[in-house]
Amino acid sequence: MEGAGIEGVVLMPATLLEVKDLVKYFPVYERGILIKKKVGDVHAVDGVSFDVAKGETMGLVGESGCGKTTAGKAILDLIPKDSGQVLFEGKDVHETFEHGSNEDRKAMRRGMQMVFQNPYGSLDPRMTVFDIISEAFIIHRHVPKSEWKERVYTLLKLVGLEEYHAERYPHEFSGGQRQRISIARALATEPKFIVADEPVSSLDVSVRAQILTLLQSLQQRETISFLYISHDLSSVRQISQRVIVMYLGKIMEYADVDRIFDHPLNPYTVALLSAVPVPDLERKVNKILLAGDVPSPINPPPGCRFNPRCPYATDICKQAEPPLRQLESDHLVACHHAEKLM
Amino acid sequence: MNSKETQYTRRSAGQWAVAWRRFKKNKAGLAGLAIVASFAVLAIYGLLLDPVPARSFGCLYQGCTNLPPFVDSAHPLGTENSGIDVWNEIIHGSAGDLYVGIGATLISVVIGLLVGAAAGYRSGVSGAVLLGLTQIFFVLPVLVIILLFAKIFLFLVAQGLALSLIVLTLGIFGWPLFAFIARGEILRIRELEFVQAAKSLGASGSRTLFRHIVPNLLSPIIVLSSLAVAANIITEVVISFLGFGDPTTSTWGLIIQEGFDHIDSSWWVAFFPGIAVVICVLGFNLLGDGLSDALNPRLRE
Amino acid sequence: MPETVLQVDDLKTYFFTEAGVVRAVDGVSFSLTKGKPLGLVGESGSGKTVTALSVLGVVPRPGKIVSGKILFEGENLLEKTENEMRGFRGKRIGYVSQDPNSSLDPLFTVGNQLSEVVTTHEKMSKEAAREKVVDLLRLVRIAEPETRMRAYPHELSGGMRQRIAIARALASEPDLLIADEPTTNLDVTIQAQVLELLRALQRELDMSLILITHDMGIIAEMAEEVVVLYAGRVAEVARTAEIFAAPRHPYTAALLQAVPRVDRKRPLVPIGGNIPNLITPPSGCRFHPRCAYMIDRCVSEIPPLEAIGGGREVSCHRWKELELRGSS
Ligand SMILES: Nc1ncnc2c1ncn2[C@@H]1O[C@H](COP(=O)(O)OP(=O)(O)OP(=O)(O)O)[C@@H](O)[C@H]1O
Ligand SMILES: Nc1ncnc2c1ncn2[C@@H]1O[C@H](COP(=O)(O)OP(=O)(O)O)[C@@H](O)[C@H]1O
Ligand code: SF4
Ligand code: SF4
Ligand SMILES: [Mg+2]
Ligand SMILES: [Mg+2]
Repeated sequence: MEGAGIEGVVLMPATLLEVKDLVKYFPVYERGILIKKKVGDVHAVDGVSFDVAKGETMGLVGESGCGKTTAGKAILDLIPKDSGQVLFEGKDVHETFEHGSNEDRKAMRRGMQMVFQNPYGSLDPRMTVFDIISEAFIIHRHVPKSEWKERVYTLLKLVGLEEYHAERYPHEFSGGQRQRISIARALATEPKFIVADEPVSSLDVSVRAQILTLLQSLQQRETISFLYISHDLSSVRQISQRVIVMYLGKIMEYADVDRIFDHPLNPYTVALLSAVPVPDLERKVNKILLAGDVPSPINPPPGCRFNPRCPYATDICKQAEPPLRQLESDHLVACHHAEKLM
Repeated sequence: MNSKETQYTRRSAGQWAVAWRRFKKNKAGLAGLAIVASFAVLAIYGLLLDPVPARSFGCLYQGCTNLPPFVDSAHPLGTENSGIDVWNEIIHGSAGDLYVGIGATLISVVIGLLVGAAAGYRSGVSGAVLLGLTQIFFVLPVLVIILLFAKIFLFLVAQGLALSLIVLTLGIFGWPLFAFIARGEILRIRELEFVQAAKSLGASGSRTLFRHIVPNLLSPIIVLSSLAVAANIITEVVISFLGFGDPTTSTWGLIIQEGFDHIDSSWWVAFFPGIAVVICVLGFNLLGDGLSDALNPRLRE
Repeated sequence: MPETVLQVDDLKTYFFTEAGVVRAVDGVSFSLTKGKPLGLVGESGSGKTVTALSVLGVVPRPGKIVSGKILFEGENLLEKTENEMRGFRGKRIGYVSQDPNSSLDPLFTVGNQLSEVVTTHEKMSKEAAREKVVDLLRLVRIAEPETRMRAYPHELSGGMRQRIAIARALASEPDLLIADEPTTNLDVTIQAQVLELLRALQRELDMSLILITHDMGIIAEMAEEVVVLYAGRVAEVARTAEIFAAPRHPYTAALLQAVPRVDRKRPLVPIGGNIPNLITPPSGCRFHPRCAYMIDRCVSEIPPLEAIGGGREVSCHRWKELELRGSS
């Protein structure tokens, strides 16, 4: 396996993906009579850096609109980023897609896949499941035609569907089943890294566990790395090894999963965690009720973006943006007053 | 998996089969289809099998001019004062009008799809230009221009090509709507996640366009085509009625125009072809509605 | 003697669709005691919304209440005429729907919509109506109500829209408020605000509350009694504390084991299979295709909803013998 080096010396798991200072703004226009006037930018992703090791699941949490999906898509170069760099196995992703050879481009596409947030919009309604899954074989020719059928069936079994589902169309499936098809499609290229964007959010509670355990087993058995995006903190805790908490395009906290859930050091993380209802009457925590809504990402507040809602906010929070600081090993926090929570 | 599911048939119905199943349940749509099919049969019969040629003055010599309807079983809908049989004209006119309606629509669809696809797929300067062009065409008084064309190219009329000229003009001026819809649909479909999914699989631009976008674009275009055929038939009638039509080829517009001159003495000459127009247009409209219900992916079973 | 506000008895609401009869609610019974918030929990399609709509008498076509009794403060709502129902619905029974976007009219300001509701319940002057609206907005903790009144729904965030919807349901000072997944489309931090608001209002206004949700966590925080629905039938009824400590129905237990928890990581035990289709629901116990404890009897015989003492009811052939794990 990847983690094991020569002669039994265990090396640090190798880095698979590196994201450096990723920025993506969406221009906002006001429609005039004749021309559109640009009135500002949605700061969807504003300088995000992290890395994902081989075989690791990195959780990415945050409230709706904080830029999770945008980050995921920009990493895969499905939408153009404004600045920053993404390295996949040491190679610049955007460079490869723009200027690389045809083989390099295809190899990179094969290596990174995405499972989309919306199980209804992400499958072509006019294609059968077989066509959807085997499209990867047509594009990459990594499976001889004689084996397509068998391979599709294997993939369907792997995600818990049956052979006869191959001839069906997406509209004949429930949300959970579509999400499985989506996962099978991503697996068809034999990727090393998958961005799983809220794969369980639109699913029923009882079906969620099925998909979560499936992802967990994929990560362990096939050594696939995941960027697991979700606003559901419970599922993030369940399947991630490390976790990033985002707020309005910025990383607030970035740490090992248990550390972030058991000893959060950013007031936002604390509030977020305390807001999650727990199905247990014995566990009574003091809820930190945040006032107000997430501010508009068009003109995010100056200083710390969380300051208008933060119970610990002081003057400095309104003026200076807190840098992402390392407070413990493997624990990065962006907060001026993180020490107060230690 | 639960046991219920294994009972389903292996091969499930395709999108088109599903659409057809849904279409079959729609009485109005079926009626529209029946009407359209009947006119198609009439047209084919007129073109290939009908022993009486179009605009035949044969009756003139048999003395049965200006015959009222339902009198002579040889001329069920009567004759005109120069002896032309009204029913025979309806038969031949259906070929002419379907030619105008369907021919012009086909031209519009092809141009519209190409332009719309270009505008929708390359949003940028070229997209803006194409959209502008589409919008200019939209506001032009198309009918007047067609009439102008018909006058200018009078020499074509002499050669019996006037009907094709009308088809061409209607087709050329009819595409903006298709371009507009195609562009909008492409812009919509392009943003759907399955298109991004194709990109993330490594699909090329043309594969994405032809394998993913175009098939999803067809339904609205088909529905719109059906309605456009109806509209084109009406325009043909108006053109002929105003005297700008092709006097050498049978169309409903032509016979209506001729009959209108003698509406007091022989009402039936204009009346029955008029009914044919109404029924045919209704047929295409009903068909369009039925298709739109059947092809709408949101109304799943 | 605790006062029973609402009693639903063997309610059956079916949808007569082209594809067949959807038995959306198929013999649901429960009762709501004054001052004890009731949670109605179940997955999507289990019949939560249809149950609520049946109580309000607004089952959409092609749905029909086929049989049963709905006693609200002793009166059977199913015997009321449409005219009489208007005196209950939106007046003595308030409803907050699952989707605040569709329940508010995008063409009118929030103030307009609220004052319309206020004036239909009670004749009053424009000024008085305005004041009442401001009070309502204050009640649901909306800051600067005078300004917010002039906003259109699309100018407000999801959480605010849901509060407006709650304000509208409260305009008539109902005795019972039914909130149908009021926080499903909201972020956790906003969800926490809305839940806190509902909890406070229920106490302040001395109003009964039925909270519909699919989230056992919300049940733990909000409800005193729980009705667990599965595929149109009641699986289990219990006090909240008891259901987490010792669920009696295999579905309830499975649900508790299948949801990840934020406070600790533990092995997940997924429930296999999918939610059944309600046109041809499974025979006998509807949970049997997914139940780990299924026996032959479960396939052939419908388990009755039995009272098992202590106010608990369960519908399972094997409740006596099974040792089920709770949320721990
Ligand atoms: N194509 C786009 N054009 C303009 N703005 C966009 C676009 N896509 C996203 N945004 C904006 O960027 C911000 C981040 O969006 P994103 O979809 O990444 O959020 P998210 O964290 O995935 O949220 P959710 O949990 O709702 O999926 C939002 O404010 C969103 O409105
Ligand atoms: N208007 C309708 N027509 C047909 N079936 C419906 C309709 N509304 C709801 N149903 C069906 O009734 C069942 C219960 O629905 P609902 O009460 O909305 O579930 P939930 O528990 O998610 O609120 C589902 O199977 C649903 O498909
Ligand atoms: S920097 Fe200030 S406002 Fe931001 S999270 Fe820390 S304490 Fe709160
Ligand atoms: S009746 Fe049978 S199938 Fe149903 S829950 Fe009980 S044990 Fe399971
Ligand atoms: Mg998202
Ligand atoms: Mg519901």
